[in-house]
Amino acid sequence: MSTILTYIAISDGKLKRSSLEVLSHCKSLADAAGASCEAVVIDANASSFIEGIQKYGASKVHVVEDPIFKNHMNTPLLKALSKVMSSINPSVFAFASTEGTKDVLGALAANQNAAVIADVASFKLIDGGVTAKRPVMAAKIMNNTEAKSDKVLVSVRSGSYDLNESPESAEVVNIDFSMDDSEMKSTLREIISASGDTIDLNEAEAIVAAGRGVKDEDGKALISELASVLKAGIGASRALTESGVYDPSLQIGQTGKVVSPQLYIAVGISGAIQHVAGMANSKVIVAINKDPDAPIFEVADYGIVGDLYKVLPPFIEEIKKIKS
Amino acid sequence: MPDVYAPLQIKEGELIMDADRMVLNAYDASAVEEALVLKEKHGGEVEVVCIGPAKASETIRKALAMGADKATHIIASGDEEYDSASYAKILSAFFKDKEYDVIGLGKQSQDTDSGLTGSMVAEHLSLPYTTNAVGLEVENGNLVVKRQGDSGQEMIELPTPCAVTCSNDMNDPRIPNLKGIMASKRKPIDQVEISSLGIDETELQADTKVTSYEEKPARQAGKKYEGEAEEVAREVAQLLDTEANVL
Ligand SMILES: Cc1cc2nc3c(=O)[nH]c(=O)nc-3n(C[C@H](O)[C@H](O)[C@H](O)COP(=O)(O)OP(=O)(O)OC[C@H]3O[C@@H](n4cnc5c(N)ncnc54)[C@H](O)[C@@H]3O)c2cc1C
Ligand SMILES: Nc1ncnc2c1ncn2[C@@H]1O[C@H](COP(=O)(O)O)[C@@H](O)[C@H]1O
Repeated sequence: MSTILTYIAISDGKLKRSSLEVLSHCKSLADAAGASCEAVVIDANASSFIEGIQKYGASKVHVVEDPIFKNHMNTPLLKALSKVMSSINPSVFAFASTEGTKDVLGALAANQNAAVIADVASFKLIDGGVTAKRPVMAAKIMNNTEAKSDKVLVSVRSGSYDLNESPESAEVVNIDFSMDDSEMKSTLREIISASGDTIDLNEAEAIVAAGRGVKDEDGKALISELASVLKAGIGASRALTESGVYDPSLQIGQTGKVVSPQLYIAVGISGAIQHVAGMANSKVIVAINKDPDAPIFEVADYGIVGDLYKVLPPFIEEIKKIKS
Repeated sequence: MPDVYAPLQIKEGELIMDADRMVLNAYDASAVEEALVLKEKHGGEVEVVCIGPAKASETIRKALAMGADKATHIIASGDEEYDSASYAKILSAFFKDKEYDVIGLGKQSQDTDSGLTGSMVAEHLSLPYTTNAVGLEVENGNLVVKRQGDSGQEMIELPTPCAVTCSNDMNDPRIPNLKGIMASKRKPIDQVEISSLGIDETELQADTKVTSYEEKPARQAGKKYEGEAEEVAREVAQLLDTEANVL
């Protein structure tokens, strides 16, 4: 029986929801194809995540636990993934398309002589491989890409699939791992984290995103207040991450993150294709912009034409009222 | 690569666009810029390598006009259906017996967003590498890379030789000036045939294939609310609750 394997990413000590989305999809593909749906988790505390993974229907959870995985580093991750692939020999190995995945996916494909399709919006099995839909040309259009191989790696954009619980008492398989210091090809010197408790944009139900129209501390304060009323994550356009107004981790778009929250509020963002590429899959989009011809209005469900400094205070106040 | 801003059309699953509009990938422009900055600070030489059809020479000139010292053009006919894995194999074969400190690549191609070639090349050549670099420094002969990770930024030290893929968040690539453009015409572009690189060409056959293109399910533009700020703000907030159900 062939195996469809899903990599479960851990980030900041939490299961990445996007990898559970991928697992949910792989479970339904495996059921339809009569294949075995399995998962692998690689982390310093990998075993503490087993229960959370079991809820999504894997029949086996492979566990690689070693302190070296406390922080992301590509050398040990690649070694572990290669070992897992060689021993499980999955026909499909699926990942959520996180920065951690992007760092190793090509190298893993080269190492395992596997075919690879990165950053897909959806995929399914075909005879002898996988076919996927990918946004291309700055996400203006889609293409269909086929990989014919007995080993296919695929990474999936967050928000592409719904979570689907289907409890099964998955068997747990521990995989030995050890790594010599001498094998480390690079050194992680330090991690510069964004200050404070930020909401993971890939998982946020709502996002308030600021663009160049947000000009000063007063504007930032309005963004923070709106985000806090909505329990939303804060995102930003490149204009504001580049100028250091917001942390680079918050950039949304082709270079930044691809997000798909229930509610996306773009404030003072023009709607350049590279920004839209990262947010067009949001369920409901609200745009606040003083230029009635701003391209962001072409993708917005609700467009407010006006000065954000005048629009946001009553907007926030009204939402507060509704929420209370 | 083709210019993503060029008008395009899809006819019966095929992508039709002006194939003559070839441009330098924005992420590669950032890699070139960063190489030039490192050269200005630490000396050395900047060489660019491009696999592409004859008309890719314009793109190569652009990098030379920015200030790169020399170039290698690995000639492809343009009819091959190569994927990232094929390009990575060609690049690896090219670099195999070369001397270099750092191979800089783009973090992804702007048209396909694949983002695979860099780490494939590193794996083929067994090089230390990192991806999605937003800053580079040289310290004691090592490359110190600031990498944008999922939540924070990672400072990673790589011994040379190594490979790094660059984000456009790293810098603003310089626009070539007239002097640079004139100088670029005198700089050497070495032309290399793929067949001379000693690769088994069946190995280059792509594992992945684009079978068709299609329009994206379009988003309907919704309603625009214009008028007195206070009023429209409250109206839309209400609608988010009662109509869109997202509050
Ligand atoms: C390869 C590549 C990758 C890129 N990747 C990304 C990416 O990942 N993410 C990204 O965001 N960009 C990306 N960009 C950059 C992108 O092209 C735009 O430059 C950027 O998105 C612009 O940001 P902005 O909308 O905030 O600024 P602007 O385009 O300057 O727009 C500002 C908007 O604010 C409005 N405004 C001003 N004042 C007010 C006010 N008081 N009230 C209301 N509205 C106001 C203006 O009308 C205008 O529409 C990329 C570019 C390239 C080439
Ligand atoms: N034909 C090519 N010639 C030179 N470099 C390439 C070529 N194709 C890809 N690359 C490099 O690989 C990077 C990422 O490619 P991709 O995997 O297509 O996203 C690019 O930004 C380039 O630096």
